[in-house]
Amino acid sequence: MRKYFEPALGVVLAVGLYAALGKIAPPLILVFNPFSWVVLYFGLTRQELFGALTGSVCGLVQDSLSIGVFGIGGLSKTPMGFACGYISRKINVGPVARNVVFLFILAVAELALWKGLASFLLRLKPTAGLVLLQPAATALVVSALLRLSTKLRREGA
Amino acid sequence: MKEKRKLAVFCGLIFLHLVLISIQVPKGGQATYFEKALFTIFSPVGRGAAGVVAKLRSAWSGYIYLRNVELQNQKMRDELFQLRQENLILKHRVLEFQGERYMRELLGTVSRSILAASVIGIDPSQYYKSVILNKGSSDGVKKDMVVLDRHGRLVGRVIDFITPGQSKVQLITDEESGVGVLSAQSRIMGVLGGDAEGRCLFRYVLKTNKDIAPDEDVLTSGFDGIYPAGLPVGRIIAVSEDPSLFKKIVVAPHFDFSDLDRVAVVTADLSDRR
Repeated sequence: MRKYFEPALGVVLAVGLYAALGKIAPPLILVFNPFSWVVLYFGLTRQELFGALTGSVCGLVQDSLSIGVFGIGGLSKTPMGFACGYISRKINVGPVARNVVFLFILAVAELALWKGLASFLLRLKPTAGLVLLQPAATALVVSALLRLSTKLRREGA
Repeated sequence: MKEKRKLAVFCGLIFLHLVLISIQVPKGGQATYFEKALFTIFSPVGRGAAGVVAKLRSAWSGYIYLRNVELQNQKMRDELFQLRQENLILKHRVLEFQGERYMRELLGTVSRSILAASVIGIDPSQYYKSVILNKGSSDGVKKDMVVLDRHGRLVGRVIDFITPGQSKVQLITDEESGVGVLSAQSRIMGVLGGDAEGRCLFRYVLKTNKDIAPDEDVLTSGFDGIYPAGLPVGRIIAVSEDPSLFKKIVVAPHFDFSDLDRVAVVTADLSDRR
């Protein structure tokens, strides 16, 4: 049961955090995407199946709170979650620097896919700006979260 | 075998998303029941989190950070005094032109038709596309109701995402929005939509038109049948030529994202009172 409870709690926390960030300063939600944090965290700690499932749920929840085409978020976050779990099983992404670079590449790919789908389906012109900081922020935050959870688990054991 | 099962689940999820995207095509942008269900389940979480931030902020500004409060109070008292005088003069001036009974009825309708709401969520994909309000169908909110900021400036309209306790508002800065507008001085009409960068574009003004210029105010024209005429929308900040038949006119919206905590939903249809 706990296996599913933690990702579910992660999704709820992501919604809460997204709402809090928007209330503090709207541009913050362009830089910090708590939904991506949850997907990458569970992709790395629970492998590809959980990564893909969390990606689908987080993407759809993000889409339901947004306007536009419902499913774009899910379609871009599902491959990110799957790839995160699959690749981390094949290569060692444990060291901090390698971990940050790996997460950064995945976050860039997700953002590019999402922007591409939005431009194609909504005929929107691709925009730059603060959103370009999102992959770096995602990589740093998820890497820090992983270190913290590993430390807490070690102390708990 | 396990690898194949994982890959099958992944492909299944991708297929599910493609199906979800394609079933929206015949609905023409209308929300699906699944999307509405997710919104109904998760928007109260956002409402709770936004409430906590609002309480913390109010505790900070109300109990801890009290610098300049006296100065602000004095400034607001002066402003209130000025506004009361202005309101009185304007009421009398309007009464000179319209029948007193009609005007009293109209003013009564306007004050009854304002529903105050709080912004509890901002579009996670692009913050200038939409916001979520803490009022919904149980408060009388309906599709296409006009939303104004605390100064009465246009923010957007309610779209068909309405649950009993929450509703979604499409902002005028969204690329897909369309507002019938006119320039305040030159009286040139056009359609206003978002520019994907938090500002708006005043569209369909022919290049041959030389009258429109920066610093001119933009108001709603009322011809779209949604927004009543005369609402302040924004100010023209740049006018330039582009390769098409039309001018490229950039408008800075009057409403401020950082001041979008409280908004007013206009529950009555004021468009027939033009």
